[in-house]
Amino acid sequence: MITLDRVGKQFEGKRNVTALDTVSLSIPRGELVSIVGPSGSGKSTLLNLIGGLDRATTGDVIVDGERLGGLSDDALTRVRRDKIGFIFQFFNLLPTLTALENVGLPLHLRGWPRAKVDARARELLTLVQLDHRLTHLPDELSGGERQRVAIARALSVYPPILLADEPTGNLDSRTGEDILSLIRGLHDRLQSTVVIVTHDMKVAASCDRTITLRDGHIVEDARNVHAATTP
Amino acid sequence: MILLRLISWPYFRRHVLRTLLTTAGIVLGVAVFVGMHTANQSVLFAFSHTVDRIAGKTELQVTAAETGFDESVLEKVQSGSTVGVAVPVIEAVVDTRQLENGAQGNLLVLGIDMTGDRTLRDYELESGDDAVIDDPLVFLARPDSLIISKEFADRNHIASGGMLTLGTIEGDKPFTVRGIMKSSGLTSAFGGNLAIMDIYAAQKMFGRGQSFDRVDLAVKDGSTIADAQRELRALLGPGFDVDPPSGRGQQFEAMLSAYSMMVGVSSLFALFIGMFIIYNSFAIAVTQRRSEIGVLRALGATRGQILRLFLLESAVTGVIGSIGGLFFGILIAQGIAASIGALISDVYGVAQRADELATNPNLLALALGIGIVTSIVAAAIPARNAARVDPVQALQKGKYQVLSAGESRLRVVLAALLGVVSLGCLLFVSSRPIFYIGYFLAILAALLLTPLLALLMSRAIRPLLKWIRPVEGALAADSLIQAPRRTSASVAALMLSLALVVAFGGMARASYDSIIDWMNTALNPELFVMPTQNIVIRTVRFPPDMAPAIASVPGVERVQLVRDGRVTFRKTPIMLVAVDVMSLAETAHRDPIVGDAATMYRKTAAGEGLMVSENLAQLQNLKLGEILELPSPGGMIRLPIVGIVVDYSDQQGTILMDRKLFIKHWNDDSVNVFRVYVKKGVSVPDVRARILERFAGQRQVFVLTNNELKRYILKITDQWFSLTSVQITVAVLVAILGIVNTLTVSITDRRRELGVLRAVGGLHAQIRRTIWMEALSIGALGLVLGFLLGAINLYYVLQIVHHDIAGMRLDYVLPIGTAAAMVPTILAAAFIAALWPAESAVRGSLVEALEYE
Repeated sequence: MITLDRVGKQFEGKRNVTALDTVSLSIPRGELVSIVGPSGSGKSTLLNLIGGLDRATTGDVIVDGERLGGLSDDALTRVRRDKIGFIFQFFNLLPTLTALENVGLPLHLRGWPRAKVDARARELLTLVQLDHRLTHLPDELSGGERQRVAIARALSVYPPILLADEPTGNLDSRTGEDILSLIRGLHDRLQSTVVIVTHDMKVAASCDRTITLRDGHIVEDARNVHAATTP
Repeated sequence: MILLRLISWPYFRRHVLRTLLTTAGIVLGVAVFVGMHTANQSVLFAFSHTVDRIAGKTELQVTAAETGFDESVLEKVQSGSTVGVAVPVIEAVVDTRQLENGAQGNLLVLGIDMTGDRTLRDYELESGDDAVIDDPLVFLARPDSLIISKEFADRNHIASGGMLTLGTIEGDKPFTVRGIMKSSGLTSAFGGNLAIMDIYAAQKMFGRGQSFDRVDLAVKDGSTIADAQRELRALLGPGFDVDPPSGRGQQFEAMLSAYSMMVGVSSLFALFIGMFIIYNSFAIAVTQRRSEIGVLRALGATRGQILRLFLLESAVTGVIGSIGGLFFGILIAQGIAASIGALISDVYGVAQRADELATNPNLLALALGIGIVTSIVAAAIPARNAARVDPVQALQKGKYQVLSAGESRLRVVLAALLGVVSLGCLLFVSSRPIFYIGYFLAILAALLLTPLLALLMSRAIRPLLKWIRPVEGALAADSLIQAPRRTSASVAALMLSLALVVAFGGMARASYDSIIDWMNTALNPELFVMPTQNIVIRTVRFPPDMAPAIASVPGVERVQLVRDGRVTFRKTPIMLVAVDVMSLAETAHRDPIVGDAATMYRKTAAGEGLMVSENLAQLQNLKLGEILELPSPGGMIRLPIVGIVVDYSDQQGTILMDRKLFIKHWNDDSVNVFRVYVKKGVSVPDVRARILERFAGQRQVFVLTNNELKRYILKITDQWFSLTSVQITVAVLVAILGIVNTLTVSITDRRRELGVLRAVGGLHAQIRRTIWMEALSIGALGLVLGFLLGAINLYYVLQIVHHDIAGMRLDYVLPIGTAAAMVPTILAAAFIAALWPAESAVRGSLVEALEYE
């Protein structure tokens, strides 16, 4: 499903910084993977490369059979639009749009008819248990509710891949647990491939597999045997 | 100063485009100011230069405005005890048929009496027969002689002994170039296109009969210029002006006063708009640099230091922008000068050649000063807001763009108050200064209301935009709603520009309507017989004995003789039209606005009264029955006003008198135009052909049909209103500058939002569409508010035209055509303005955009 073949990422500036150094890994369809590591280890960079938000300096990133390196900006956008759902630490909801409109955003961008967009957005918000908050603006929602809206938006086309960057990082621990269990529940129901970047070892341990990064290298890639029993 | 280097400089470097746009505001304002004024001054300078060069050693000139005077006046002047030398002069601008290019082909012919003239002017020949000059009789004996300037000779490759054809009233006449003058001060007059002819030959060639245009004189040794002025004024009476040559420059300026006022308004307007752009940029900068200001305040910077920092920034911007403005202003002045020269030549009949730019150091210094002060004044409010920033609040993250309810309410209350006061000024007080204060308050009220109106309208159009494009449309509207300050400054600048365009357009439209009405009643003969193609050139005239010849042409029913020319009335050059009033009453009957038609025509025809135009009455505050004092070479004419009529012959006003009265007082029976009525059922083109045939080979005659004359007048009117196009250009530039500025800031503010849009699947085309829709919405808001304010502005401008500029009462008609043309123009400008910001919105790192705070 997701393959990284000797992927490197350098940031050019006054001083060149290597964020990732010849990283290779493979994530099969339907797997729930966590990526951990200290700050600056390259976790978010790795997630951005998988999500097509950024381009690798060297090596190949292959997502669902698509080699991202050779794609144009718009082709890359289409990959994101059709195959990937993003969940951000700071939710990244558009403040002027209601919950319903935020969730419908990617569908409108795909050119879906209004009625179909509306129906799907309602369905998704019901799925994340926010059917009573449809017309609320992000400012009128709690942190957990905002993240639920963001998750609903990420699921708008039921993409095969869900990428989450510190999805609980901006929430209190109880809400964080709720969100995590929502993601896990959705993973179980939808059988999507989920990659979560996190600092939180409890979150990491709840996943099927944990990849540990340090200084741009994978230092550990382990299966979590307790994953299924962790809430 | 250290703060400027540490804080401002890095900010400017980081926001190069915005800094350039801010500076462009001042560049625009100063450039239009300098360009317009330099061009205007260049034309005035060219006129003064010509007058000065032709004057030579002349100390005083005796003139009777444009009408000229009888030859006998020369003897009177020469008899003055204070007069040393006095020589007669005739000036005529003629077509030389020499060059393809019309402007180059015009030649200023100076008719002089070589006997005495060399005392005042130097005619040193470079080549040719010196005897022509040394012995005036040679010149006199050969009336086809001409001396031309070296400049004209070189340009047209004419050598001494060569031939030059001039258009005269006797038709195209070949002249022999007897000499070529060396380059000197004199030959540089009129851009070098100068020729000298014997004065008596000039009288004959240009239909002057027994009259001269003026007498140039030098004062006798031992007398002063003031002595001579006093003596000659007493000797000649009130119909004559006795002034130094520079006085003609002042008369020329007075004639152009309406035009100069329009130039002044245009340039001030451009500066005001420039100020708005600066204000907008600084207001945005303060909002964006809030946290930076907060840090500075937290580190101990005083309010005064912050205030000074921003004012210093604006001063630096002002200096750089003003210097750029001076440069661009001088660059555009040449083009504007050429068009003003052509306009003055066509509208006022005073041929001009502004070949050199008169760059006045004082004007440049003034523009520099105005640019800097404008910049500082514009930045004053944002700077004060910056100084008031609360450090604790500023360091907290969040948006500060939103207008608080209190601020909104305050603005509305203030706007309502100003609106009421403005209305009061208009309705209850008739004083002019109060009227202008009311006008200013009305504009101020509109400006205060702009943020709120822009916000309400943005909310109103959101559903529409969302309906057009669910994502792009909604986000574009939201961007406007979120940041009313950012939006409203651009909208306000656009609104002001358009309000001016609407007012100018409305004034032009009303003027056209009135002029067409007037032409339809006053200019109803089928044919007009004239000595030149240009109806406003009055330096070439016909003798009256042509009238019976025209009347005898088969098919002609009636011929009216018209003599018109500028005279000085209450120190203002106005138009005097002399015609057979009884005949006019029968063929082109006009009901007076004030007075009784029958009495008006009867008394004017009998030489017992004068008719005045509505604009003259308004500008000079004249009433029916009032005794008018009109100076003439034959003495002061004192006659009552017997009627006030609509007449657009001249911007400064017109007096109509009977031809007999004119001949009596001016001793001049020459004719400018024959108005020819054709018998019913007879073909007008046939009669026209017969008239041309009748005078073929004898006289230079131009016969215009009624439609041709009307088209000609409308063409002149078009040229007069060509200034409107300058306004439209400025409006479009403002639209582009303001919108680019707003959008640049908007995409910076919304970087994360646009990043999210791209992250969740927004294609480049979709992101671009969001920015385009935002720009088009700003354009649309500006258009709506601009038209609303324009409707109010038009009312005020028509009042100003009526009371203070042209004295014309123009109907209030909204210029639908101009307004309709502005819709695509402004929307296209808005779209063009959005192209670059839209491209920059789709470029750049998506990851950085998502992390942007």
